Amino acid sequence: MPPFQPVLLEAVGVPDGHTIASYKGRGGYAPLEQTLAGRQPADVVEMVKASGLRGRGGAGFSTGLKWTFLPKDHPGPIYLCVNADESEPGTFNNRILMEDDPHQVIEGIILSSFATRASTAYIYLRYEYPRAWHRLQAAIDEAYAAGYLGRDIRGSGFSLDISLHRGAAAYICGEETGLIESLEGKRAWPRIKPPFPAIEGLFRKPTVVNNIETMACVAQIARRGVDWFRSIGVPADPANPRDPGSYGPKLYCLSGHVERPGCYEAALGITARELIDRHGGGVWKGRRAKAVIPGGISMGIMTEAELDTPLDFAGPGKVGCLGLGTAAVVVADETVSMVDFLHNSCRFFAHESCGQCTPCREGTSWSLRMLERIKAGKGRLRDLDLLAEIGSTMGMMPGSTICGLADGAAWPIKNAIKKFRGEFEDYIKRTNPDGWMVTDPVPALQIVGAH
Amino acid sequence: MIAQPRILTDEMIAAIESLAPRYPNRRALTLPALHVVNAHLRHVPLQAVAEIAELLGLAPAEVQDTLSFYQFFHQDKPHGRTRAFVCRSISCALRGGDQLLEHLCHHHGIEPYGTTADGSLTIEPAECLGACDFAPCILANDDLLKNMTPESAAAELAKPRARAT
Amino acid sequence: MPTVIVDGKEIEIGADERLNCIEAARRAGAEIPHYCWHPGLSVVASCRMCLVETGTRDAASGKISMMPKLVPACQTPAKDGTVIVTESQLVKESRARVEEALLIDHPIDCPICDKAGECLLQDYHFQHGQAERRADLHPFHSRRRDVGPTVTLFVDRCIMCTRCVRFTREVSGTSELMVSARGAKEEIDVFPGHPLDNKLSGNVVDLCPVGALGDKDFLYQQRVWFMKREANVCGGCSAGCSIHTEHNQDTVYRLKPRENPHVNKWWICDDGRYGWHHLHDAARIVGAGRRTDRGGPFEAVEWSLVAARLRADIAAAGRLGVAVSPMLTVEEAWMLCAVARSIDPEALLVVGHVPTSGADESFPGGFTIRAEKCPNRLGVEAVVALFDPAVHGWQHLVDEARSGRLASAWITGGYPSAWIDDDTAVAFSGLGCLAVQDLFDSPLTGLAHWKLPAAGFAERAGTWVNVAHRAQCFGQAVRPPAGVWPEGRLYWNMLGRRGLYDPDAVRRQVAESSAALAALGGEIPATGVDLRIHHLASTPS
Repeated sequence: MPPFQPVLLEAVGVPDGHTIASYKGRGGYAPLEQTLAGRQPADVVEMVKASGLRGRGGAGFSTGLKWTFLPKDHPGPIYLCVNADESEPGTFNNRILMEDDPHQVIEGIILSSFATRASTAYIYLRYEYPRAWHRLQAAIDEAYAAGYLGRDIRGSGFSLDISLHRGAAAYICGEETGLIESLEGKRAWPRIKPPFPAIEGLFRKPTVVNNIETMACVAQIARRGVDWFRSIGVPADPANPRDPGSYGPKLYCLSGHVERPGCYEAALGITARELIDRHGGGVWKGRRAKAVIPGGISMGIMTEAELDTPLDFAGPGKVGCLGLGTAAVVVADETVSMVDFLHNSCRFFAHESCGQCTPCREGTSWSLRMLERIKAGKGRLRDLDLLAEIGSTMGMMPGSTICGLADGAAWPIKNAIKKFRGEFEDYIKRTNPDGWMVTDPVPALQIVGAH
Repeated sequence: MIAQPRILTDEMIAAIESLAPRYPNRRALTLPALHVVNAHLRHVPLQAVAEIAELLGLAPAEVQDTLSFYQFFHQDKPHGRTRAFVCRSISCALRGGDQLLEHLCHHHGIEPYGTTADGSLTIEPAECLGACDFAPCILANDDLLKNMTPESAAAELAKPRARAT
Repeated sequence: MPTVIVDGKEIEIGADERLNCIEAARRAGAEIPHYCWHPGLSVVASCRMCLVETGTRDAASGKISMMPKLVPACQTPAKDGTVIVTESQLVKESRARVEEALLIDHPIDCPICDKAGECLLQDYHFQHGQAERRADLHPFHSRRRDVGPTVTLFVDRCIMCTRCVRFTREVSGTSELMVSARGAKEEIDVFPGHPLDNKLSGNVVDLCPVGALGDKDFLYQQRVWFMKREANVCGGCSAGCSIHTEHNQDTVYRLKPRENPHVNKWWICDDGRYGWHHLHDAARIVGAGRRTDRGGPFEAVEWSLVAARLRADIAAAGRLGVAVSPMLTVEEAWMLCAVARSIDPEALLVVGHVPTSGADESFPGGFTIRAEKCPNRLGVEAVVALFDPAVHGWQHLVDEARSGRLASAWITGGYPSAWIDDDTAVAFSGLGCLAVQDLFDSPLTGLAHWKLPAAGFAERAGTWVNVAHRAQCFGQAVRPPAGVWPEGRLYWNMLGRRGLYDPDAVRRQVAESSAALAALGGEIPATGVDLRIHHLASTPS
């Protein structure tokens, strides 16, 4: 298969590729001008719906369809929140887009705001991306100067302001209503739904939250067309009327134990093995893969035998993972202990749980405590049953939590215990020969350092 | 009661107020205001929280509630002139992130989240910095330090560094 | 009428009612356990204890389709055809897991916790929890943190329901309480220098489902299972908040608001909540005392002799003026007027002193503290009107006394705090017979010939009418101190009626003779009755 010709990443490596001059030289902002001159917002919504674009932030919901949930004839204001909080472990594609091609993102934002009749767009940018902050702000300033932002853009009657809003290192701000609460100045506790943001979102007004990569896709669809977008990826399964397909190019992040970690653009549907071997130079140091995350740590774990799974929206689910997520592939080689691996995951989610609802707040904390104890050589076989139970009962899927962080916390636990149970049992028996069989509760360890 | 001198300078207040037109209410200025103060003082002491609350028409508890959620703003004293976030999430952990943190803390004689006695350096664990292509990595003020080893990291962190934005 | 199906049982709900599944299920007798939901606060659905199975029944086909996963009952509206399942295996397991999760880090220090016996964590553990602990054990710690003058916080007992935080933000509008930190490390706290210090602060203790928030006034005073409670009404102001008086062996230990959608909803102000200590003040007037010489000591009079001697002293002195205190019940007021007129048919009857303090104070949640610090001015006015349409007030009595047009006076008070100064009291210094019936000594008792005790609010049964013309009837919670005949008993005795004082009989008699109070003749619900509606209804058009 010939290497995919980058579209989303076309500016990477181009000198001054982040400037408006470079972007316009590549054809940028012409689609916006044409749209403002001759099309209606509903046309743009239809275009995005027809393209089959599904959100790139992790949930994979049809973008055009989400836009139609906004109330018709609302007096406004309507808000577009661009989710640049990218904090899913293993994920860094939004960073690259913002640093190297901010105008692609901005054009997508302006087109999306035009489509949804948003008058204000906030880019909620995570604190840890200072370079992206500077690049985006410079690009926004260039866009205002060129007349693509502000009042009555290009005489179209459409007005839009874009503001950067900086986060403060909390993963849950990537959840759409957590983002909204944070933007409003409160602690980022996700809201119960209904009402959904399209009806009552930011400042209780109709709001759409879209991911950075999704915005870039909108710009490319406007430039290259619906047919082009649909020619890439995995078409909808004709036998399944509910399958929206996996269309378009996707940025895959590859990291961990590979020769060439990096962000690679490919058609949706590339397999993990192809990504690792063709783009990533293979597993490093001549080793074999042992455990591979398919789409950010929330999506769970694949075994080496499962690496031929296509990484489209439907694929990872077939091997017991949560989904495609952020398409961030992380490779752990054969020397990695799954106990350490799962401990790292549990530590992350315990630290990031917002603490609002009981099953996640206590479940993430309890599972970390158990992993700490197992790691320290005081584990019991019984702990594996408890972990599996936490893994299957915590989350939006069983209905026990308000948001999907709990599902993300649960899936690595679920997959690790199921797919690597033997290793966990061996470790426990080996490190706790006198206590692995205990079924009564045992004393917790003092956790050193904050979790 | 001794009147405390105001912590929020005119410059900080002007910076906060310049953002007001972006939002339909004052409460939305909370996080931007915290960042303005933090950028100037390298921490947000309780008195600053009370002053921000007064500026925005909020109760101090509301601002402190938001501040404490992020586990990001130091309050007791300024963090180091270099604030080093050492990533410990899965991609960096697979390439030595935990050992990097441990080494650096030991090298400087501080605990994680601690600051050196001369006030020059704070070392904190961070969750995924979004630079997994350069794991293990460290965010030191505005600079992303890539592909770190204990030695290269120690050398980098010894350098004086421009303030964080 | 919309029909909801709860555990297979059909119940109808009102067409205009907006109920959630907790409220709808309760109508069917199913109590869905919950911590964070409260009808007076915003819905957050964060405790996850109320998760149930729901579905809809198709109106045409009758087919039931259930949702594939559990949903919080508190955030699910109950509409026509809503199906609620509260006791399936899925639901039971979910509840057991929530309980288990809440107990993981809980100190479980029930033996030293005030809330034992009325704690939802305890109750739900026994009803819905698991038999054995599965989570790691950890050292006991139960920290106590001062959050304000009335409330103390036991940090580690908190289950993060956030009811208290929401109360200070939504109902009192003072926003003193906050959540601090994130995840399992979250704690309730206040900002240093800004304690929980508003006039509704005590309500957060009622709201707390567990023993995290403690009432400093009640802390360690009494175990809840020893207390009985009586439905009463607060006597602190004209709002007339419904309360429960909780007591043991004639000692009051605390007051709690009683839910009344027409008056106070679920709340009470701190002045009302803590306004019972005067009942047990050692300085209270006890026993009937009489003296002929103002300068001398009072002579104790045996209660069975008081009626005749008091009547004789007043009759001998001459023209009588009576202050009918707005602290009295409607029944007591009526009997006092009848007794007074039976001694002197020309007796001047006025509404007694109406204490006021500050201005009415309203809070964002709608609760209002009234400036008028007595519970029954409207009721007493309606009674006095039956005897004298002029319905004079206290000042008129003072003027009549000062100008020498009165020869005797009977002043009823019952005010919990000082209410009269020397300058006003001296107006009564020229009377041949001054009888004062009050809780505490005052400049007026200093001038009195007769000093009689008064009952406190929890020591009487009867009816009060609040500022919104709502009449509430309440029972007697505790007996007054030894040596105290409450007003009702004395007046009943002075009217020559036999047997124990029967407030219900008096109330019915009053209702018959008063159009304004006619509604008191019927069955009075626990939340009271709006007198104006019934008055309008019964007024011939």
